[in-house]
Amino acid sequence: MQFFEILTPMTILLCSLGVFIGIVMGAIPGMTATMAIAIFLPITYALDMIESIGLLIGLYVGGISGGLVPAVLINIPGTPSSLTTTFDGYPMTQKGEGEKALKVGVTASVFGGFFSLAVLYFFAPMLSTFAIDFSSVEMFLIILFAMTIIASISKGSLLGGIFSGLLGILISLIGTFTINNETRLIPPGFESELIYGFTLLPVLIGLFAVGQLLEEAEKGMKASAHQKIKLQKGDTKSKFSFRLFKNQKVNVVRSSLLGTFIGMLPGVGGSAASITAYSQAKNFSKNPKELGKGSPEGVVASESANNGLIGGALVPMLSLGIPGDSTTAILIAAFLLQGIQVGPLFISSNPDLWSGMVFALIVANIAMFFMMFLTVKYFAKIVFIPKYLIFPIIIVACVIGSYAINNGIMFDVWTLLLFGFLGYIFPKLGIQIPSFLIGFILGAEAEKNFIDTLQGSGGDLSVFFTNGPVAIVLWILILGSIIFSVADYRKGKKEEATYAS
Amino acid sequence: MSEVFTIDFSYSTSHLIFPRIIIGLLILLGAILLITNFLKRLRDQSKVFKFKLFTDNYDKAKFYGSIVLLITYAVSLEQIGFFLSSVIFVTLLTLLYIGNLKRKSILISLVNSMSITFVFWYVFGQLFDITLP
Repeated sequence: MQFFEILTPMTILLCSLGVFIGIVMGAIPGMTATMAIAIFLPITYALDMIESIGLLIGLYVGGISGGLVPAVLINIPGTPSSLTTTFDGYPMTQKGEGEKALKVGVTASVFGGFFSLAVLYFFAPMLSTFAIDFSSVEMFLIILFAMTIIASISKGSLLGGIFSGLLGILISLIGTFTINNETRLIPPGFESELIYGFTLLPVLIGLFAVGQLLEEAEKGMKASAHQKIKLQKGDTKSKFSFRLFKNQKVNVVRSSLLGTFIGMLPGVGGSAASITAYSQAKNFSKNPKELGKGSPEGVVASESANNGLIGGALVPMLSLGIPGDSTTAILIAAFLLQGIQVGPLFISSNPDLWSGMVFALIVANIAMFFMMFLTVKYFAKIVFIPKYLIFPIIIVACVIGSYAINNGIMFDVWTLLLFGFLGYIFPKLGIQIPSFLIGFILGAEAEKNFIDTLQGSGGDLSVFFTNGPVAIVLWILILGSIIFSVADYRKGKKEEATYAS
Repeated sequence: MSEVFTIDFSYSTSHLIFPRIIIGLLILLGAILLITNFLKRLRDQSKVFKFKLFTDNYDKAKFYGSIVLLITYAVSLEQIGFFLSSVIFVTLLTLLYIGNLKRKSILISLVNSMSITFVFWYVFGQLFDITLP
């Protein structure tokens, strides 16, 4: 059978291990799926491609799912995407239905995971066949669209988001330009270190892991306060049963669908997906007043949406080479490490990798379900693992990873520390890390496509508007995302004003 | 009209076109952001301009301690090698985060640092043959 030819026992083992570690890291507040993948990237140097994909996919699925544990038990989302799980999950725990809430969440997660996997399986190949014919004009416009949509969805102002993205692009341009082999933007004194620019991996783990460490250190590394959690009362009402999902079919499908399609929008993270799904569940609910007071319906909406996100976020990554969120941005880095370029040609030229990825997602979802469902009682303990033990481990892992990426370059460790500091300071200055990161990853590609286009047109910029219907549609999308963001900003302002008065 | 949309394109300077556009846009956007921010403050006199870098009551010892330790760790890696510098770094960092010097804390951090360093050294250096500092 093809399944076992591609997925060796080693891969399945690594994938399950990834799920386990992912759940643990997702369950510790302040650590995210993105961080889990970032610090495990170095291990993949030694693995072959399918094995590393298995491990990373496992970490991704586990990391997103683990976030529901502290959200339900202590009212702190373990990852940003489980924010809305706290709205109903925690009240359920207070009512003595903690175990039920966790099991509802896990089951909803696995639904969301498989739903989005199906969408990924059918949609990504379709989109990439369509995208193969794209010229540099369309590719440039897609990147531009990715940039505007992240900026428009991110917290804070649209201009601030675009500024952050452009800054990311600028940093990515440091070094040698591949078309004419000329260097530019290198600060004096660093000519030999920065000849190829900053290395991607130390930048990524610096921004996510070291930045997070500094932020936690500033807050004093406090562990979540110990509290007694009653997982279950004796009566049958507080027990979990799959019959709960009988009335939730529409909710599950709607939330998974929303999660998947929001995940497809480039750069839009998990919190947007689960917030949208939650508010829609509230709009369509028969008893909207129950939501927020401990209704399983809310947990279902939030968790199926944030797991739906995974398959969705992989669609633009695999078919266009554009990351769907910061986690997939790191996955792109993992592919680059193995010398594989993701883009429209990826699926047709690497059929084994593509099916390996789909199989890994199936394994990861099944592993996640059984691990979490059967061991709910013990997983509750993870929430209280002290951070002072975990963070030093993470730093050592980050340093090894950065040092080893180019076979022992000390400058990469300094890059790690520099971007760690920037990852801490950026949010305080209003610079948004997701926008910055996507800019940094796509900057070189944007430039290449831009210059290719100019080379073809002899410097004429109007070709960006006249290059056929796809370009026009992309311009409409770009303008649409800007208009949406401005309208949304105005609406928020108005609401703020009515609150104030 | 068509001249507005044309850029002088030559192969030898093509590496400068895109950075110039990006820097130009950054300056433009930065200026707009600064001016709108400034105008907002002029209009709204009640809000005094106060930029706060740190959260209230931030943990100075842990924050600056982490930065100093990180930098020292990176420097010491080259001087005294991976094993020794990692053991020292993890011990000190764990102690810093626990926040006291009781015998139990020292024991925890020593055990933590030795086991972590050994596992990393074994798994990365020996098992996977990855270059360590």
